[in-house]
Formats: sequence, structure tokens, C-alpha cells
Amino acid sequence: MLWRCATSFLLVSAALLAWGRTRPHYGGTLRVEIAEDPWQRPGGIARRLVLDGLTRADASGATQPALAVDWNSENQNHRWQFKLRPGVHFQDGSPLTPIAVVASLNTACPSNCPWSAIHAVGGSVIFTGDEPMPNLPGLLAGDEYLIALTITSEGKPPEGVIGTGPFQVSGFLNGVLTLAANENCWAGRPFAGTIEIRAHRAVRDQWLDWSVGRTDIVEVPPEQMRQAQQQRLNIVSSPPVTLLAVQIAESGSLESPLLRQSMALGIDRSALSNVIFQKQGEVTASLLPANLTGYSFLFPVERDLAKAQQLRGGITPPLLTLAAPGDATMQLAAQRIALNLREGGFNVQVTGDATQHVDLTLREFRLEGNQPQAALESIAGDAGLNPPPPGQGDMALFQSESEILGRYTLIPLLYLPRAFAVSGRVRDLRLNPDGSPDLADASLLDTARGDSSRGDAP
Amino acid sequence: MMAWTWLARRILSGTIALLAVRTAAAQAPANRWQQPAAELAGQIAGILGPGQARLSVRNLSTIPADQVPAIQALLEQDLKAHGVQSSGMESASSIRVTLSENLREGLWVAEVIQGSETRVTMVQVEAGAPHAAAQAKSGLMLRKQLVMETKQPVLAALETQTALVAVEPEEITVLAKDTRGWHEAKDFDVGGKRALARDPRGVISADGNGDGFEAFVAGMECSGSFAGGAESALATCHESDDPWPVFPPVPEPGAAGNPASIKAFYNAARNYFTGVVTPAIGADLPPFYSAAVLPRPAGAALLIGGIDGKVQVLDAGALRTVSGTRDWGSDFAVLDSGCGAGNQVIATGSGEAAGDSLRAYELPAFDAVPASAPLAMDGTVTALWSAADRKSVMAAVRHASGDYEVDRVMALCD
Repeated sequence: MLWRCATSFLLVSAALLAWGRTRPHYGGTLRVEIAEDPWQRPGGIARRLVLDGLTRADASGATQPALAVDWNSENQNHRWQFKLRPGVHFQDGSPLTPIAVVASLNTACPSNCPWSAIHAVGGSVIFTGDEPMPNLPGLLAGDEYLIALTITSEGKPPEGVIGTGPFQVSGFLNGVLTLAANENCWAGRPFAGTIEIRAHRAVRDQWLDWSVGRTDIVEVPPEQMRQAQQQRLNIVSSPPVTLLAVQIAESGSLESPLLRQSMALGIDRSALSNVIFQKQGEVTASLLPANLTGYSFLFPVERDLAKAQQLRGGITPPLLTLAAPGDATMQLAAQRIALNLREGGFNVQVTGDATQHVDLTLREFRLEGNQPQAALESIAGDAGLNPPPPGQGDMALFQSESEILGRYTLIPLLYLPRAFAVSGRVRDLRLNPDGSPDLADASLLDTARGDSSRGDAP
Repeated sequence: MMAWTWLARRILSGTIALLAVRTAAAQAPANRWQQPAAELAGQIAGILGPGQARLSVRNLSTIPADQVPAIQALLEQDLKAHGVQSSGMESASSIRVTLSENLREGLWVAEVIQGSETRVTMVQVEAGAPHAAAQAKSGLMLRKQLVMETKQPVLAALETQTALVAVEPEEITVLAKDTRGWHEAKDFDVGGKRALARDPRGVISADGNGDGFEAFVAGMECSGSFAGGAESALATCHESDDPWPVFPPVPEPGAAGNPASIKAFYNAARNYFTGVVTPAIGADLPPFYSAAVLPRPAGAALLIGGIDGKVQVLDAGALRTVSGTRDWGSDFAVLDSGCGAGNQVIATGSGEAAGDSLRAYELPAFDAVPASAPLAMDGTVTALWSAADRKSVMAAVRHASGDYEVDRVMALCD
């Protein structure tokens, strides 16, 4: 397990090390194709290009300043003050103010937020909570809490997404979202002059476009990484960032924790990894990947059909439904899981429709950063579970995770990497902690020379 | 706010230095594991109480396998001190220790199994990165010394006997030296309203008295003094589009008076110099990333690393392309080593190889001839400049972790 993790790190490290030997050039158009929506939450590729958070996670998982330059807590983490970076402007020229930040966060999180209240005071934003919020700085680095302009200086909602990030929306035509470099970005003007994102493009079409030089960056799903490597595509891969898990409804015929535990023991994770995901996944029974915690081996991943049947105790629940929203790979994975569960004595039927009541759902949870406590809270929140009790340190994290897993409502199966094939004209492409490509720091080789066509000539 | 930690690992010289490194490397592990082993043993004993237990240790971390027996011995010793006798025989209790790690640190996990109950405890282990010794195989040998480590990007630094001044994107930090190395004495905000640069750059040069400095970052100019010591250093910054002193004055043999420094205008919105210099040198320069003055028998020559990737030398008022620079990155600096031709150009690698490196070259005419083997660096070289005395070059290096270090790179004559 660890060697695969190490391999992923090597790939990422190689990308990191490629930075800066020949200094990056400015200008040019970077073309990207994706299967999903660029604005989807979490992980939409355009979100972190246009928007910034108050904080950000660095490569080691540490929380770093972004739109906030400093923060401190009081009253045993019940109150946090985040001091905003001065001189930052939204892409429409309006200043980033504490009031604008409060408005954005209230829009992003109207209820069930990690905080109870949020206020603008002077040049700071104050968060208060009924419960302690020891991991708030890490949580605010998440995709969910990126800051967007909600009201323009004319008092109207903005047309389109406006943030403080390195790129601004400049058009959307024929399915292509065009982003232009934000010359006044507080973090520096990005190297590429323009990014064109062709969304909702099937992976096979992406690869076809890539092969004829029509695009620079395309997605490589985990189950196709081996094929891409055989075809000698230049691949940049992340550490494991997508958790594949089965969520089990706590009510109805699966109310008994023993039945849910029986299901957890009956799923053959290795077969899922080997057959469906071509050995690219990291088999896991923990919510957080091994590289974040170092203790995931404490949660056994082996299938134990005998114990599963013993726990079921002869009870055969009525027909259960397993929903698998997503692509054909998710459907195949769901079929495999249903087969495993049938062998364990459960009668399970797969459905692609997650809108009806279902007993089980095959879900993907995307890690938004590599701060483990914040990541755990985020997964628990996405799953609609009560957040784990706050704590600091590895042991507290382990106990929080054990408590969530002990409910047997979320059964982790695999951790999958994100990967992209990159054309030879792109350099310094790194992946963010959530596995998305960091296009703001990527540059193009063929613009060296100053890209006079886009006004980047010296 | 900044977390500076300074180390001054000064290797003595040549073979002695390599031996010292190897000896230290061999002795370090046992000492390094004592504290976490004692801590974990204490926690295990707290769960288990005095008695006998079977201990097993497995390694899932990057700790070399040959160090695991030493760790197991330490654990057995520490458990014994707490009254827990490690036994190879069948025992009612067993302790399964896993040496693991995560992105941030090592993690040693103990599973204490008593009957059907398993209890878990764990300790953090500080991550340590082995540092390779510099090696070379031909010509002169490049060697690096760690000057300092920091969380912040270092764009340039000036080291004197009494102070080390580091230029960062948003701060100038003055460091004082004590017996343990450099420590932060004072820092000054650079200020300014300009947005940060994504590939920030800066320069610093000593003033005429040697107890002050002049530093530039995009759109800002700072000057300061440490005449009263680093602890009482002073610095002020103001917005400025003035040219940067990128060509330090090089005395010509037999020439009278102090030569003037040539300055170059920096494009503060990008990461390169515009090509406009002052005073004018009688030739139009292209936009460039790096420039250096290379002493030659016929007179100092100007070496330019253009943004088009070409390395050119200004010869008799005309720019001529230097061949053999295909492996060069964007940064280079001149080193007066006294070896071979007397001075060399130290250039970063182009990025074709797997890791970043520095290599010495000589330019007898218009060809760059390798004069050393590549010196592997512990990350990406983000800035490179000649030290004030030009007897060494300084390199800012970013680790994969995002932390930075500044290294001094010197040459040993072969």
C-alpha cells in the first residue's frame, strides 16, 4: 500500500522539482478538457482559478495564509479572528472587504456551518461557535468556503462568478469556458495568458483531442492509468484524493449496526481494486488515506465472509437498493459490491437513480486538502454525519475516525488518485492537495519568447 | 511570525568533510530513536502494566531496514525499565509496534493486545531528511554548505562577518550570528502596494562601507545598515522603478579607480529584466533572466541569459551566442574559484534531468565547457547569485515540502 503511495508522491515530486530551473514564461493559451462541470463543488477546476479562500493548504498539509494574513483564536477555540490581506481587489475592481467576505461565506454556508455566527469587525472577520472550532483555519481552506463577490458596487448580484483568483471569467461559448489572466491578482499574475476549459467532454474524446494536439491537459481516470502509461502519455498523478465509500442508511431495514457491520465485512475491496480500477486504487477501510495519517493499517481491509454471515445472524433483510450515481465505472463497481453482498446473504439491487429512497449509496468523497482533521470533518459533513469531536494530535484523530467508522454507516473501500495527461508544451504543472491541476503556476514552453500576440512582449 | 531555523553545518574540507558526514550519519540513528522509543514504551507500559509480553516490530516507513533491530532493542530496553519484560515465548499479551509515517512526520503505533481486547497508542517521530554529500568526478569539485533554512522564499541574501541579510518577497530579515549559527535579529516589511509576483525575484548588494545594503524586489527599493550590529539594524523601503544592480563592478587589471556598476531595469510585472541597462553599454540587450560579468584575459565580458533560452556574450559591442549551454537553466552566477581558468560560471540545470543541479562551466571562447560534475541540490534552485567576494555562489533552494534553504556553493580544485 505504501509503495503505491510512494509512487504517487514520486510523480508529484517530479512535477514539483520540475519547477523553476528554466524560469516560467508568460502568455499563451492553455487548453484543458474535463468530463465534469468546471464550477461543480467540490473540485470544479475553475473554482480555484477564479476564487481564493481565506486560507489554503500547502503541499505538506499545513494551513497557509491566503486572503487572510493572520488569525488567532480565543475562548478555547470558540472565537476566531481572521485578519484580511490589505489591498486585495475582486476581479471587477471592487475591494475585498470583511463585509464582502461575510456575505460570501453566508451564501456558501446558509446553515449547518462549522461556526454559529460570523461578523465583520474592522479589517477582520470574526467567527464564533457554540462548539470549539480548533480546525477552522484548515476548514476554511476547503473548496466550499472560497470567497466570491455576492453584491457589486451597484448593489446587484454579479453576472457570473467574480473572485480574487489568478484568472477571471472572460467568456463561455460553444461549451468552452474562457478565463483570462488577472493582471492584478494579489498572488501575482499567472503565467498563462488564457485558459480554455472545454467541459462535459467524454474521456475518450479528450484523449482523441489530446492525441492530435487540440488540447494540452486531459483527464486520466484511475482505471485507465495503466493504459495511458502503456501509451506513453505524459501523466501527472496525485496521491490518493478520492475516497470511494458505501454510505448505508441508518434507518429502515438496516437499522441494526450488526447488519451494517456485516455488510462492511462482506465487501471484497481487493477485487474491486484489481478488477474495476486496474490496481490503481489504494484499498482502505479508513476514511483518511495512509499518507495523511500513517495509521490506516489499524483498520483491516480483508473480507471476512464467515464473520459477516455470523453477524447477520440469519436475518435476511428485504430487497435493498444500491444507488451508484456517476459513470459506467461506478455502475460496474456497484454491481461488484452487490455481488459481494449477495454472497453475504443480502439481496441487493443496483439502481442508477439516487433520487429515490435507497438503502445504500456508492459515493465519492474528494479530499480538499491534506490537513487530516479538517479532511475528516469535511468527509463527515459531506456524509451528513455529526462532525467528530474536536481534538489535536494523531491519537485524537484516530479516536475520531474510529468513532465515525464504528457506526458502520460509511464503509470506505478505495482511495483513488487523480491523474492528467499533459502535452509537451506545458511545464511546471503541479497538482493541488485536492488533486486538481494548479494551472495558475503552469506555463507554456512555446510562449517564451514573450508572447507578443497577447501583449506579453517585454 | 516567521519560523526561522538556522543551521551552520560547516564541513571542514575535502576528505575530512566527507568522512565526518559519513561518521555522523552512522551515529545519528541510534540517538534519534531514543526519545520516541522511550515515549512509546512508557505509553505501552501505562496500558499493559508490569508483566511479560511478546513484542514484534514491523516497518512500513522509510526508516532503513538495518535500523529496525536497533529500534526494537531500544523498545525492549525501555519496556524493561517500566517492568514489561519482552518475551519470545507464548504470552497472554502481545505488543505489535508498527513504524509508520505520514506526510508530516513519522508515526510509531503500538497495538497492545490482551486477550480479545486491542488498545492502540502512538507517538510522533520527527521527520528527518538525509542530506547527501556533494560529489564530483572530474575537473573541479563543487561542494555545498547549508547556510540557513526557512519557511519563506529567499530571493537573495548578503552574508558578512556580522550579519546575514535575507531578501524575501515581503520582508527584509537581518540575522545575527552566535555559536549555534544565524538567528533572526530584526525584520522589516518591504511594504508597497504592488501585487506579489508568482515567480518573485530580488537582488541585494553591500554598500561601499560593507556595513549596509541596498536591496530590490519588484517595485520596491530598500536600504539599510547593520553598522551597530545585526540586533540594531535599520532599514527603510520605498516604491521604486529604479534599475537593479545586477552587474557587480569587476576591477580591470591595471585600471585606475573604482569601476562603476551597471544596472538593469526589471519588469516588475514579470520575472525578467527588460534589456535596458544604465549606463548604456553600446549594445542593445535582449530581455534576460540572468546576467553576469565574466573576467577574461582580454577584459570583462558580459554574459546574458535571455528569456528566449539563448546564452549570449557581449563581445566587441556585439552579442554572440554561447554554444554548449543547452543544459543550462535560467540562472547562473560567476565564481572566482582560482581553479583552472580562475573563474567559472555556475549554472542551474535545464530541467531535463530528474533532479535540480548546479554545474561549473568555463568559457574559453564562445563555448561553454563543463568544468565539474553536476552537484545535486536538495530541491529546486529558485535563485542563484555570486557572494560578495565572488569566492562562492549562493543558491536558494525550495524543498518538495515547500520550505527553503540557502546554500553556499564553493569549488575545490582537483
